[in-house]
Amino acid sequence: MSARARPHQAPAPTAGLALTLVICTVGPGSLAADLEFGRYLAAECMTCHRSATATSTIPNIFGLGRQHVAAVLMAYRDKTLPNAVMQNIAGRLSDEEIASLALYFSITMKP
Amino acid sequence: MTRLTRRSFTALAGASLGAIATAPLARPALAQAKPKLVVIGGGPGGGTLARYVQKDAAGAIEVTLVEPATQFTTCFFSNIYVGGYRTFESITHGYDKVKREGVNVIHEAAASIDRARREVVLSGGRRLAYDRLAVAPGIDIKFDSVPGYSEQAAEVMPHAWKPGAQTRLLTAKLNALKDGDQIVMVAPPNPYRCPPGPYERVSMFAHVLKAKGFKNARIVVIDPKPAFSKQKLFMQGWEKHYPGMIEWQDPKMHGGLKSVDAATNTVKTDLAEYKAALVNVIPAQMAGRIARDSGLANASGFCPIDSASMKSTIDANVFVVGDASIAGDMPKSAFSANSQAKVAAMTIRGELTNARTFPARYANTCWSLIETDDDIFVGGTYEPGDGKIKQVTSIISQDNEPADLRKRNYAASVDWYTGIVVDIFG
Repeated sequence: MSARARPHQAPAPTAGLALTLVICTVGPGSLAADLEFGRYLAAECMTCHRSATATSTIPNIFGLGRQHVAAVLMAYRDKTLPNAVMQNIAGRLSDEEIASLALYFSITMKP
Repeated sequence: MTRLTRRSFTALAGASLGAIATAPLARPALAQAKPKLVVIGGGPGGGTLARYVQKDAAGAIEVTLVEPATQFTTCFFSNIYVGGYRTFESITHGYDKVKREGVNVIHEAAASIDRARREVVLSGGRRLAYDRLAVAPGIDIKFDSVPGYSEQAAEVMPHAWKPGAQTRLLTAKLNALKDGDQIVMVAPPNPYRCPPGPYERVSMFAHVLKAKGFKNARIVVIDPKPAFSKQKLFMQGWEKHYPGMIEWQDPKMHGGLKSVDAATNTVKTDLAEYKAALVNVIPAQMAGRIARDSGLANASGFCPIDSASMKSTIDANVFVVGDASIAGDMPKSAFSANSQAKVAAMTIRGELTNARTFPARYANTCWSLIETDDDIFVGGTYEPGDGKIKQVTSIISQDNEPADLRKRNYAASVDWYTGIVVDIFG
């Protein structure tokens, strides 16, 4: 399931949605800025970004500020930043996943 | 619809966890010994998997990679080599860094797998014990899927769908063509490695012939499929850059492929016979031999896997990643194999060292070059769903995009190549 959990979304009182809530509660979506989860998610980014240089089309994303990484990923998710490949990758990220990625990249240097 | 209460959900979850706990998973024979992972195949799937387990397990798992080649030429970007944009050396990579990182790389072929004893038997007779095995042998060519074709015929009519000498042979033949010569490509049926690959290759053929100033070149594609990946975009590109040079025939147009003859360089269809200066036969494909011989493939010739882990549904101690696997909506590509390997690596660490695991997620993007600086892509993200790896988002290049966007696509694909080969080979 694509659990794009919204932090301020009130749980609906039906059993079916209660089940969804349980899954979200025990799943990674609710773990705000989980470094280990960020490291796992970041493996997807490595495929393209790990060898970025100052002049490459695919930019470096290591060692950037948390707020900056989060804002850029949200902008790709919301399609306010252009780049179809990144819009596709960011399109399924939940707020918590973005927070975890931002934490990971803010404290990790390029391997 | 049955209403699930929180209590019944807990009960179901408990039952499911119980089933997992009682599955016949192998544990390390000695409590003190390091658990052993053996990886067969050092390409995009196997290389990535070995490196990620080695790196993330930080020495807690003994990782062995079995790959006969000391130098691995990538199939991805081999069309770019055919088109003359890259050298063969630039798409060929060694394992020195993988070795330095601590992976035990054995340059020998895996002859067989003794799944009952959990051992891989090498061609020299040595046996490697494993707690978990990852199988990533890529594809084998089904030579007999094209009447008249064979391994010997491929020396005259190259398939070049497994990289290396075949890729060089195809390129040499292409570069020896004279104006007025004809190329015939026999395209493969689904499923096959790199869905847009044959059509990018046709584009690269056309690019080379056009760059030489040839006015009378002709490329005929005999396709067993009624449609192909990024078809509209390719055909628009062919019309734009190579008007009148490429003739793509679907089964209704050629009536079915009858045979090929390497002695006369002839391709026969139901409706015509083509004598060509260069014939590129890309036959049907199947999982690499070791996977089939070990009983890991089903009747399709490919290996069924659990979409949440890339674990074989046939053997709980074995994982299959890359082109040999049945990966649902994911195409057979290096990007897919690299993505699948990361899910398998995480699951293997979870099983062998109790490392944390997270829900599987996969991604893929395939770029294709039509002509210099005119590059298109198709991609998707994927998750387990409906009993398979299911596509959840998709993207594809649009018709008649600005030239600068297509040029940036190519630059991005080159950067992607630089990145993924480091992800695979260190």
